[in-house]
Amino acid sequence: MSTTRIEISDLVIRYGEATAVNGVSFTVGQGEHLTLLGPSGCGKTTTLRAIAGLEQPASGSITIDGRAMFDGAKRINVPTEDRGVSMVFQSYAVWPHMTVFDNVAYGLRVRKQDKGEIKANVERALDLVQMRHLADRGASKLSGGQQQRVALARAVAFSPTVVLFDEPLSNLDAKLRAEMRVELRELQRRLGITAVYVTHDQEEALAISDRVVVMNVGVIEQIGTPEEIYNRPKSHFVADFVGSANIIKGKLTGPGTFATEGGVPLRVTAPHAPSGAETEVALRTAYIGVAANPGDNQVAGTVHQRLFHGDFVQYIVDTPLGRLIVRRPPTNLLAEGAQVTLSFAPEHCVLLQV
Amino acid sequence: MKLFAAMGMAACVIGWTGLAHAQAKVCEKPRQMEGFKTCADVAKAEAEGAFVLYSTDPEPGQAKLVGAFNKMFPKIKTTYFRLQAGALYAKLLSERQAKSYLVDVVQISDMGMILDFQKKGGFTQYVSPEMAAFKPEFKSKPEGFWTWGSVIMGGIAYNPNQVKESEAPKTWEDLLDPKWADSINVKVSNSGLQHGVWFMLKPILGDDYFKKFAAQKPRAFDSYVQQYGRLVDGQDKIIMGAQYSGYLEFKAKGAPLNFVFPKTGVPAVSETYGIVAEGPHPNASQLFMDWFLSPVGQKALADALVLHSPRDDVPPPGGGVALKDMKLLIPADWDAFQKDRPSFAKEWDRIVGARR
Amino acid sequence: MALIPTGALRPRFNWQPVVTGVVVLLVAFLVILPLVFLVEESLNTGDPMAFPPEQYGIANYVAIFDEDINVLFNTLIIAVMATIMAILIGFTLAWILTRTNVPGREKLERLMELPYYMTPLVGALAWAVIAGPKSGFVNQLWKASGGTGNLVDIYGYFGIAWVMALFEGTVAFVMIAASMKSMDPALEESARVMGASKFRTMLTVTLPLVMPGVLGATLFVFAEMLGSFAAALVIGIPARIYVITTAIWDSTLSYPPDYGRASAMGLSLFVVMFGMLTFYRWRINKGSFATISGKAFRPRPMDMGKLSWLLLGLCCLYIFVSVVLPIAALLFTSLQRFATVILSQSEFTLANYRTALSLGPVRIALVNSLSLGFGVASVGVVLMAVLVWIIYRSRMVGRGAVEYLVMFPQAVPRLVFGLALLWAWLNIPIPIYGTLWLLAIAYLTVMLPLGVRTIAGVVLQIDKSLEECARVCGAGWLYQMRTVTMPLLKPGLLAAWLLIFMACVRELGTSVLLMGPNAKVIAPSIVNAFASSGTELTAAMALIQTATVVVALIILFRLSRGATRELQ
Repeated sequence: MSTTRIEISDLVIRYGEATAVNGVSFTVGQGEHLTLLGPSGCGKTTTLRAIAGLEQPASGSITIDGRAMFDGAKRINVPTEDRGVSMVFQSYAVWPHMTVFDNVAYGLRVRKQDKGEIKANVERALDLVQMRHLADRGASKLSGGQQQRVALARAVAFSPTVVLFDEPLSNLDAKLRAEMRVELRELQRRLGITAVYVTHDQEEALAISDRVVVMNVGVIEQIGTPEEIYNRPKSHFVADFVGSANIIKGKLTGPGTFATEGGVPLRVTAPHAPSGAETEVALRTAYIGVAANPGDNQVAGTVHQRLFHGDFVQYIVDTPLGRLIVRRPPTNLLAEGAQVTLSFAPEHCVLLQV
Repeated sequence: MKLFAAMGMAACVIGWTGLAHAQAKVCEKPRQMEGFKTCADVAKAEAEGAFVLYSTDPEPGQAKLVGAFNKMFPKIKTTYFRLQAGALYAKLLSERQAKSYLVDVVQISDMGMILDFQKKGGFTQYVSPEMAAFKPEFKSKPEGFWTWGSVIMGGIAYNPNQVKESEAPKTWEDLLDPKWADSINVKVSNSGLQHGVWFMLKPILGDDYFKKFAAQKPRAFDSYVQQYGRLVDGQDKIIMGAQYSGYLEFKAKGAPLNFVFPKTGVPAVSETYGIVAEGPHPNASQLFMDWFLSPVGQKALADALVLHSPRDDVPPPGGGVALKDMKLLIPADWDAFQKDRPSFAKEWDRIVGARR
Repeated sequence: MALIPTGALRPRFNWQPVVTGVVVLLVAFLVILPLVFLVEESLNTGDPMAFPPEQYGIANYVAIFDEDINVLFNTLIIAVMATIMAILIGFTLAWILTRTNVPGREKLERLMELPYYMTPLVGALAWAVIAGPKSGFVNQLWKASGGTGNLVDIYGYFGIAWVMALFEGTVAFVMIAASMKSMDPALEESARVMGASKFRTMLTVTLPLVMPGVLGATLFVFAEMLGSFAAALVIGIPARIYVITTAIWDSTLSYPPDYGRASAMGLSLFVVMFGMLTFYRWRINKGSFATISGKAFRPRPMDMGKLSWLLLGLCCLYIFVSVVLPIAALLFTSLQRFATVILSQSEFTLANYRTALSLGPVRIALVNSLSLGFGVASVGVVLMAVLVWIIYRSRMVGRGAVEYLVMFPQAVPRLVFGLALLWAWLNIPIPIYGTLWLLAIAYLTVMLPLGVRTIAGVVLQIDKSLEECARVCGAGWLYQMRTVTMPLLKPGLLAAWLLIFMACVRELGTSVLLMGPNAKVIAPSIVNAFASSGTELTAAMALIQTATVVVALIILFRLSRGATRELQ
């Protein structure tokens, strides 16, 4: 048995004239939680739906558990209902004309299980999401959060090995979203499900994924663990989209040295072998200190604006490097107009690829 | 020689039987029913269980007529269908073209169409014992293809509440008086009776007559029921070529109406009945014809539609003048009548402002 | 804690392509075949009854311009007049009921649908009695109060257009009201906030926004008026005014029947209507056949103060003129011995109802109409549901063509379609001409646009993911249709069933040419009765038909309300 559950290779999906997914390749391991992250229109949902068989790719291949589900060259296209993957939809797609029980039992009934087995599996699934007490309620009478749980229970009821999630939390309010995030992760771990998850919320992606695939206009920008994506972004897009970063422009002057446009020399880190043509460095706003630290890069500046965000405070500081955004814990607030020395370590100045 | 003689004999025999077939006779032992004789197999007719009539008569009247037949033979369910002569014939021909044989007996009030249908082989020959009572001019030659079921005649009718008797028209020529403009109604060109009126009056009154009549701007209707209805409620004052049976029918209901028999004479045509070839209920059709052509059936017709029977031994319907007391103008040459139809239709449509 | 793995999915037969193929072929057969026959016959310049035609040519088309040019002229004039009146009435009523605070708005909106159920045939009969010259009710009153001559004469261009506008113009009201309802109230509110008066707001904001909807309705209604039949039949023919539809009817009813000319006229009318509806679809509806699209807002009604009573009066006047007055007139007529409005001459009796109900054919016609309605509606909704799914939900190649096919009969005037079916089935060697089966086929075909449009409106509101989820759970196409799609469509299916049922019972144009002795239906029977049974009997039959439809309507509405409540 291979450890790779899902293999996507050179997938191309078109909508009429436009190309939504332009040559995407990645693998998902057994029991892994992989997230497709990107802005709307980047092709993440299209890719996910293609795995489910709800979109027809133009070329490439999709293999699940060693079984070819789609292969453009060999003209294989297994219909959705025969693929055996499960899916949680953005709108939950809970059937309003059935009870909660019937919703969850649907996949089991299709597989012609007997009544006793169905009951056992449905109750087990509902227990996992704490919805057992509402089993007989009409599905149209549930709140958003409750519908979400039912959708989840339904998705796992027939013990699929792969579950696809299409932005399942985007319709919930912020607080609920945060709670459900945690529960989802718990569930996935407990059941050992291989999950492919789509979201545009980078915070969510970083929090619950084993690996993240960052996509933009149909292509993959970077694949890596959340820490890799956050600390070593490869491109301007990734640095900008994931987390909050300052992009400093300049020129590479030597291995590990960078001269900014303003003429300030910085020590930087290159996660890849630099070609010499690189012109941008990414600096996370959270990694900038407001005290002098001679071991690191240092630059003097004036606080231009201060915004109190509750969990953190954000300063915009005018410096020779340009306007830098700095995020700090919300204590010892600096006044607007104050002079300050900013310091940041070289490993946090990441040279971006061209 | 012997061979020739044998062949000659064979030819004679074949020819003889052939002729005999053309001159079909009444069956050997007609069965006596209540009031009429029949050659039909009554058991088979009842087994067929249904009978369909196409006729130009108004629907309530048809309902009464076939209802009377159904009363005598409850097992035979009766249905009917009504259209004016031209439309009915058009429908009949269309159905046959589609090989849809839906109708058993057809009545059309235009002899031209009847003859045309006979030429097309549309009628089946059945000689009813009752046909003996009909004069030769009232039935087909050889007999059995079609027979006159009634005689209809057209005169002048008016509402005495709207038109004073002293001022009312007495002759055909009176209808040309300008004071009757825009208040005369007639039948549509599809009607057999209207064709008869035209065909018979044109030679008598002259070609000019109908040209002048056009100036009266007559309105055309599909049925005498509409015509008399408009007389009663005052929308029109006079009917030209008014069907006498309609007058009798409305008068019996209490309508204020007067009928005029112009001295020149009243044009008359027939309502002709015949059994349609390949009809769905052949035995019931024969039974119906026997019943219908008998005094019993003719009386039922008079009760239902106040129509005159061609039979001498049937009294005129409800309070009406007898045939022999009328000056009837009946076309002598039905072939000429048939050939006249297209030009009549065109002219008449122009006179009444219909489409063409 | 892991879940116990369940069995794998068994391989299943995919029903989707089979059902799709069968349905599409069936619809193509129903819709295209008769028209092919019609086209061929219109080019027949030999014996009009011969099949296949002996000679081909365009003589029939040329002859239309030669001999029947006044018919074209009449059709155009009357359609224009009727459209203008219908749009005026529709616009006024729509504005009153959606934008002002006239009392009893909801009830009134319901009542506005009544003239549709009256059927134009019944309405035409009634108005002939009301406004006939010399002896119509209105003229009687006029004479009694000292007037001379006729105050009104229904037998003229205006009369025909008036009846058409009253009874076929409800569509105008529905369309304009829908377009008014779908206007975002914030657009008006922001004008008011900036200081514009009520009147100025209406002129500069409301009217321009509603204009496209009104223009669309105008186009649509005009196309319908071109193909109108009932009013032209009852009122036009006595007035010696022929329009294309009555000319076609007349062609088939004279001896010899001129099917070639009738076909040519029918096709010409069809082409014009088709052109207009295509233009409507392209320019105004942006490619969709849905006449109502998008969310409906609840615009804030304007306070009209004392004026609202006047507006209420206007609404009531419309209902009076289109429903109350005609029914009263027919009732009065049906109770008379002779249809005479000359009250001095009238005697009253119930005999007409007795005759009407005892006349076997009337009873049979009524039963036939109801049975056909039942059968066609029941079979129809299933067929149409599948069609809707194919057009709007499947990924089948050519589903746009299927939509076109299904909407086609809308562009064909009912009478012309009846003619096409007549000619087609006269010559196809299967003897269903003159039977109820042919009527059933005819009804099913002409009701396709109605049913598909109704069900499509509901389907488009069903979230696609509900169906996708079923497939992801492993359901095959047939299982998904049965357990998810159909149950969710229930309100739409019920609505479509009702509409189709009623449309079948009212049907005139298609049936009038296809009736036979064993296939009598009620609306053409009323037309026949008008010709051969006198106005009193006809009035009785017309009222019986209307009453039957209304009763059926009430029963079915009660049932449907119960069913949809389940789904709430």
